[in-house]
Amino acid sequence: MLKRAIKVTNKLGLHARASAKLTQAASKFESAIWLTRNGRRVNAKSIMGVMMLAAGIGTTVELEAEGPDEAAAAREIEALFNDKFGEGE
Amino acid sequence: MSPDGARDPSGVCFTMHGIGVSGGIAIGHAHLFAGMHAEVDHYEIPAAEVFREQRRYDKAVKEVRDELNELADSVRHSAAAELAPFVNVHRMLLDDAAFTDAPREIIREQRCNAEWALRQELDELLAQFSDIDDTYLREREADVRQVAERVLGALAGTRARIAMKPVREDASILVARDLSPADVILFRQHPFAAFVTDLGGATSHTAIIARSMNIPAIVALHHSRTLVHEDELIIVDGTQGVVIVNPDRHVLAEYRLRQNQARLEKDKLKRLRSAPAATLDGTPVQLYANIELPSDVETVRASGATGIGLLRSEFLFMNRRDLPDEDEQYEAYREVVQSMKGMPVTIRTLDIGADKTMEGDGSHGEQPVNPALGLRAIRYCLAEPEVFNTQLRAILRASRHGKALILIPMLTTWNELTQALAAVQRAKEQLRDEGVKFDEYVPVGGMIEVPAAAIALPMFIRRLDFLSVGTNDLIQYTLAIDRADDRVAHLYDPLHPAVLALLAGVIRTAQQNEKPVAVCGEMAGDVELTRMLLGFGLRHFSMHPAHLLAVKQRVLGTSLPDIAPTVARILKTDEPDKMQALIEKLNA
Repeated sequence: MLKRAIKVTNKLGLHARASAKLTQAASKFESAIWLTRNGRRVNAKSIMGVMMLAAGIGTTVELEAEGPDEAAAAREIEALFNDKFGEGE
Repeated sequence: MSPDGARDPSGVCFTMHGIGVSGGIAIGHAHLFAGMHAEVDHYEIPAAEVFREQRRYDKAVKEVRDELNELADSVRHSAAAELAPFVNVHRMLLDDAAFTDAPREIIREQRCNAEWALRQELDELLAQFSDIDDTYLREREADVRQVAERVLGALAGTRARIAMKPVREDASILVARDLSPADVILFRQHPFAAFVTDLGGATSHTAIIARSMNIPAIVALHHSRTLVHEDELIIVDGTQGVVIVNPDRHVLAEYRLRQNQARLEKDKLKRLRSAPAATLDGTPVQLYANIELPSDVETVRASGATGIGLLRSEFLFMNRRDLPDEDEQYEAYREVVQSMKGMPVTIRTLDIGADKTMEGDGSHGEQPVNPALGLRAIRYCLAEPEVFNTQLRAILRASRHGKALILIPMLTTWNELTQALAAVQRAKEQLRDEGVKFDEYVPVGGMIEVPAAAIALPMFIRRLDFLSVGTNDLIQYTLAIDRADDRVAHLYDPLHPAVLALLAGVIRTAQQNEKPVAVCGEMAGDVELTRMLLGFGLRHFSMHPAHLLAVKQRVLGTSLPDIAPTVARILKTDEPDKMQALIEKLNA
């Protein structure tokens, strides 16, 4: 099980399109992937869950990955956040 | 309502009156554009039916999935490509367990119909969204809501098809509470024969787009969503603003006859397509088209327009959260300029703000109290110099593929024009430095739509190459009527003496200064006003292509010396009844 805290830095936060990107990325992995914020824990492979996480700019979410490819999964998802979901701001 | 959804087919006939915003007659079956505030049926089902009800639900989900896939394919290759990511989000939401599994469980647990199960699941989801503090993220519930609406629509469809065996040949008529311009653009993919809405005014943007689709439309009906049922036969008379629900045999026959006559009339007009527009006394008149999307060019061709007098560039900017970059804009403008083959293409720079909002401007959350008077059009562009620069560069680059003109909207002050012209110079210098080719002589014109500009016209006219009068905004600002507010929309009057005085004054001043002047608002496409405008001295009309042939027919039958005395009297009249009588006399 891998755990790490990630800060949301893109301007609009985890809005619909960013959630879609995140869900699509998470779904590629076999590992179970969870995101937690404010005591709410959601499956990162469910777009509805990710949208409801309501993670706006400046918030911190906790990423958990557990499974055979957990290291790669955590790396890729963290990269997506750091890349501001390709939005450039 | 019974589970099979059967309804008395011979419902009571009644009529509703609204504002006809797009003329013509359509006969078809009502399709309710479900807002979730609408009631959803609730009934229990026997235990033995649970499986079948779940299958009905699965089928509706599958239908929506197919629909979204199709939509994704079609928008990908169209001018609406910027919609693709949103369609994608909807597809993913649909495939989420919240939609694929939860309602099936509710059907099993509560033994209720699929609609009710979906409704409960949606209420649950929306409740969770409403707890979100971030305004922007909270509003994403709209996506969830829209997906649910689609599934509900599909559920209604499956029921309707079981209830009515024969495939109907009539088209559907969309009945909605309100439509956003974005909705209407999506509806271009669907063969709706007409649409009617409860909200909206005569010149709201929605109405303008409806006219661009050339289908009848009626707005401000107030209660159509509750009074009309799914699949009821309705007649929409967009010219009169009347909706007839469940018409009897005789009424139906009468309207079919009228529909045929209109069709014949249209065919007759088509023969005028290649005729040059000139009055009986031989004065040539230019009839241009207004367009929204590059794909409208085909319609422009079919209408016989000799140029584009208004390309509303903001449609490139709507329905998306990012800004179109220079290359994307360049491609769109180039496509239009090139396909018009040397005929003029007037590109209005971004007129965002007021009723046309953009998601990518980062201003979500703050609704200006009075957007029509706020940061819009050239004011917005000067406040966002990079956005403006990108657009000007894209237009200039497109200019070498044909004949492009730049049109600056909403000019009000001296400094605005100074800054706008400087921005054009700056864009030109950049391109020159980069060695990029463009037409050095791209004309720059101004929209005259703020009364201040119409009154203080000499302040602008010397520094502009041409003028274009936007009558919609000019009327709205002169009369202080919000054109999107249906409670005051009836006060919106193109024939108000103040409006006519401003309009005639602008045309006269332009002629004295030997500067071309066009009218590109709705008035230019109103065949009842064609002669009056000709009498004011207007020789250059730009309108929706759907009106072009009718206006041409009127021009061809007009003798300028004959109408002059009546037009002179119109400008001296202040009583509405006399004004109306003079307009009728002019058109007799």
